[in-house]
Amino acid sequence: MQTYDIVIVGAGGAGMAAALNASKDPSLSVAVLSKVFPTRSHTGAAQGGMNAALAYRDPGDTVESHFFDTVKGSDYLADQDAVEFFVSGMPELVLELESMGVPYSRDEKGRIAQRPFGGASSPRCCYSADKTGHVVLHALYENCVKNGVHFLEEFNLLDIAAADGQLQGIVAIDLRNGEIVSFRARAVVIASGGFGRVYWTRTTNATNMTGDGVAACLRAGIPVKDPEFVQFHPTGLASTGVLLSEAARGEGGILVNNKGERFMERYAPDKMELGPRDLVSRSIETEIKEGRGFGEGMKSYVLIDLRHLGAEKILERLPQVRELAMNFEGVDMIEEPVPIRPSNHYMMGGIDVIDYKTCGTAIDGLHAAGECSCISVHGANRLGGNSVSEVVFFGTQAGKAAAQTAHRRQLGATDRLEELEARWSERFDALRSKSEGASLYGIRDRMAKAMWDGVGIFRDGSSMEEAEQVVDECLEAYRDVVIGDGSRRYNTAFMNYVEVGNVLQLAKTVVMGARARTETRGAHSRQDCPSRDDANFLKHTLVGLGGGAFAVDYRPVAVTKFQPQERKY
Amino acid sequence: METITFNIKRFDGERTWNQEYRLPRETSTLLGCLTKIREEQDPTLNFTSNCRAAICGSCAVQVNGSAFLACETQLDALLDTYQTTTLYLEPLNHFPVVRDLVVDFGPVEKGMRKVDAWLCPSKERRDHLQSEADFRKIAKPADCILCGVCVSECRELAYDDGTYLPPAMMNKAYRFERDSRDGERGKRVLAALKNNLWKCIHCEQCSSKCPKKIPVADEVSYLRRRAVALGETKSEGARHAFSFYDDVRATGLLNETMLALRTEGPAKTVANRTPFAIRMVAAGKMNPLHAPKPVPGIESVRRLYEFSQKMEKEA
Repeated sequence: MQTYDIVIVGAGGAGMAAALNASKDPSLSVAVLSKVFPTRSHTGAAQGGMNAALAYRDPGDTVESHFFDTVKGSDYLADQDAVEFFVSGMPELVLELESMGVPYSRDEKGRIAQRPFGGASSPRCCYSADKTGHVVLHALYENCVKNGVHFLEEFNLLDIAAADGQLQGIVAIDLRNGEIVSFRARAVVIASGGFGRVYWTRTTNATNMTGDGVAACLRAGIPVKDPEFVQFHPTGLASTGVLLSEAARGEGGILVNNKGERFMERYAPDKMELGPRDLVSRSIETEIKEGRGFGEGMKSYVLIDLRHLGAEKILERLPQVRELAMNFEGVDMIEEPVPIRPSNHYMMGGIDVIDYKTCGTAIDGLHAAGECSCISVHGANRLGGNSVSEVVFFGTQAGKAAAQTAHRRQLGATDRLEELEARWSERFDALRSKSEGASLYGIRDRMAKAMWDGVGIFRDGSSMEEAEQVVDECLEAYRDVVIGDGSRRYNTAFMNYVEVGNVLQLAKTVVMGARARTETRGAHSRQDCPSRDDANFLKHTLVGLGGGAFAVDYRPVAVTKFQPQERKY
Repeated sequence: METITFNIKRFDGERTWNQEYRLPRETSTLLGCLTKIREEQDPTLNFTSNCRAAICGSCAVQVNGSAFLACETQLDALLDTYQTTTLYLEPLNHFPVVRDLVVDFGPVEKGMRKVDAWLCPSKERRDHLQSEADFRKIAKPADCILCGVCVSECRELAYDDGTYLPPAMMNKAYRFERDSRDGERGKRVLAALKNNLWKCIHCEQCSSKCPKKIPVADEVSYLRRRAVALGETKSEGARHAFSFYDDVRATGLLNETMLALRTEGPAKTVANRTPFAIRMVAAGKMNPLHAPKPVPGIESVRRLYEFSQKMEKEA
């Protein structure tokens, strides 16, 4: 058993921002666990930028306007006190990142460049070409190395130990030698990323985005908040789902159907392609469904045309986007339009955070930040450019708060920690010697297809019921899984086993939350309940797991400044 | 359908062996093939990958002796390049191997410490401004995804005693040396110098194999020029370079007798190279008494020098 004052799980934007802030106090011992080398984290895949009302490009832009856009984008499900806190802190945070070395693109006056983004009333998305997440992630890592942050790489979180509302620590596997290790800590920050892999291949997410921290919290007694709100990015590459940045629309890309029509005229006559992601995704899927797409079945798509921007602008502003389209779709956007189709992209839901200022949860000592958490600043639909902002902003808050927690709290008991460590050791040993059983990957693929078909972009009661049945069957089949690798050393099959277990539990929360919410709001679009129902559903879903059973509960939304209105673009 | 054989170097912590897997030829990336092998044939095969979009840098492996990012490398392209239906896969060179194709990237962190691979913000700076031109100087080196391809390909590292700075770290040194916001210009140049900057053999493998097309070898040249500009002209590396530079400008030819003397100094040259020099003279390959005269057209050579100096000033 190892002991630290603070343990941070995850080394992406949120985890490293937390680590930098937590380790400012030299009297505290801090360790950052990550299942990958830090710069492999998924923050690096964010392309378009990060929102901050710096008012460089549009002098009329304000924090208030960013606040309103975010609330409206969330379809009024975001907690407005949290959103106001978040957007107010962003301009200063972007400047701080700039001072830490983030190489932002520049305008003609040398200021940080900003671009328009979906759902935003002003161009406030600060960017570095189309590699914003990449440069932010690397700058954070560079500063962590500079400040001597202690990384434990290739440690995979298994469970969080807590009893009577008090944190004890976490259990993880050291992948390189296969040891199950428990960590006692006064404070823990979970910053382990989202769980888009409930849709397995139909996602822009990296293969390791399996919500390990969210599922571990669920098992430790913290519900998943708003899991049914799943963002589908309008422009995944048609054949692989690889992300084509929103910058492609932000810079002026036009969506075209098989009749050559600029079909967004029908759905968002004002904002056109720059409508929010949920609306644009549904518009594309409607075109495909009504026979105006190209291709057939799972291979259907529409086109995004950027040729009118010209080679120079494409090479300057969208170099990575162009390379991705060439490498993974075989199309040079300077010459031809690119086939695209919506892909799962982001989970608005996550670990139920109850104090937005500290990112604290219902377990004393446990904090959560980044995509794994639900604070909630994104509500029913996240705006593009708000996620890199969120991970760094709330990662910073969680790191500072964890330092305070570590000073306030003593180390907890160890009984639950020892029990979980023993249980995982037994399970690992048993799985290494098990030779017959169900195929892990078969179960995973079955779940993903059911989720895509039943709980995807369009949903209805019966399709979701079917999906839940399949998920239940998969959860059952999972109990008899065989991993097929007897090694202790770097056992990827065991890691996959843990990950699939996590996405299965989270898929269950998604489908349960979605079935119980009989309305359409933001990304949750039900064909059998097509309108928003504020009277009954202006509230957060909480799906918990207690005594082996999942249960749905609710909590009111914090409405401060903006009363819900109809959401039009 | 054509069958493709993947001959993969395996390692379990103690034992190393090669194992063959066969897949029908399909349009797929190399990562797609590896995933298929693991999920359908052998769950004990280990490799790392995450984003599958060439930005996380996890999945570099060697194929037929060259390093590639598996996610963006098309199987067809490999088969066309090598004109074969058998591919040999190994982990990256110059990293500790953990298991099969999985390597430990821990050395990257140590390398970063050697060159202070982070911004040391200039103390006078208050305004958060940087010109577009200054941004462009760091945009390309900041593309590095730390995938390890250049490290694996580096020919100097193949024979080095472990003191040479890997190309990825040369790129980091360059990236911060060129950042107009940094307050400690020259620091990374001297750090690179201390870590054998002059040992680069300019094979250009780092530049030509980099998945992000970062011109690392050119960056090494830049760091060397900066080192000279900072007055660091006394090292063997600098003296070696000056021999070439001065001889060719003077005569159009390299004076090989003088090269060793000027690089290593008379005492070391006599101690190390006497038997070799005697053999060269005996074989008629070297005449120590011959001082080369300028070649015909030496004026053109000198004009090239002037031209390149002018170009550098303008840049």
